[in-house]
Amino acid sequence: MQDQPVLSWKVAGLLLGLLLIAATALVKPLGVSTQYVVTDAIILHSAAPNFAESNEYLNSYGVKDDWGVGYGWMLVFGMFVGGGLSAFLTKRFRQRETPSLPPMWKAEFGNSSPRRMMHAFAGGALLLFGARLAGGCTSGHMISGISQLTIGSFIFGASIFASGILTARMLYKKRLAS
Amino acid sequence: MKLILGLTIGMAFGAILQLGGASQYRKILGTLLLKDLDVLKLILMSIAVGTVGIYALDLVDMANLSIKPTYVVGITVAGLIFGVGFAVAGYCPGTCVVAAAEGKTDAMVTILGGLAGAFIYALVAPSMQGLIGMTNYGNVTIPSAFDISGLWIAIPFSAILFLLMFKVLKDRYE
Repeated sequence: MQDQPVLSWKVAGLLLGLLLIAATALVKPLGVSTQYVVTDAIILHSAAPNFAESNEYLNSYGVKDDWGVGYGWMLVFGMFVGGGLSAFLTKRFRQRETPSLPPMWKAEFGNSSPRRMMHAFAGGALLLFGARLAGGCTSGHMISGISQLTIGSFIFGASIFASGILTARMLYKKRLAS
Repeated sequence: MKLILGLTIGMAFGAILQLGGASQYRKILGTLLLKDLDVLKLILMSIAVGTVGIYALDLVDMANLSIKPTYVVGITVAGLIFGVGFAVAGYCPGTCVVAAAEGKTDAMVTILGGLAGAFIYALVAPSMQGLIGMTNYGNVTIPSAFDISGLWIAIPFSAILFLLMFKVLKDRYE
């Protein structure tokens, strides 16, 4: 199984830093999590327009009759395209034995795909709730925010790692004990 | 034009995360279990490079900065919630998009969970205003707090990060 990354953290980190500089010069720093709200707004404006109109938070993203697909949304879509392409070209597409189960997770929690899906869904919900409350995620708050020396972003980064490390230790008790 | 630029920057972003291994569950959990710090060091490297570049651009007025407000209590609570999701999902809001593109179905579900989480936030956003208003210092950065040019902070900060990456942080392999 080819699960070693193609690039070392040094090269990947350098490239990401340069991309961040280029993005800041051309448009603005990198960010992802806002686009989840934008996507919700796109879906709800066609599925339940009355509700979407009445929700102030959803309305604060985009303007009437022009929901959604702008620069930021294309950036996230591009991440999907670029990530997929590089996985495919480096022969790292669909490398898992079971597509839903990371081997490391399987070793700790067993072969239950539904259980992994519950983790994945709940984790995703917590991620975006937290990111929206903070106003950004790993890219917007941590990488872009700390690079701009924003004080709140340092606090966010410290807070993420404190609770992430604690949670990971609670999840992987078996692994840590062995 | 903006759309094509977004797509291009996004494609590079996604490819870098994929090639660097940031979209791998075991790399994220490895970092959070403090066993394999590659992802943390990748992030630190991007910041060490980014901060100097951004504030060099700012010096010649070419940086489109986007400073987020610092509301200490709200951001701390948000980070604690985010951190739990980070460890439970094993992805972040960006890397799950990349991992989904690698054919990992759990990452696709994390995207769906993310859409649900953002929706729940939209429902309760009005009641979060108190938390956001509390201890809110506005769009403050370290250089703006000291009223100096950003590079004066960015350069030593970057040097500290390099020291951290290459001298202090040593991986503990199993």
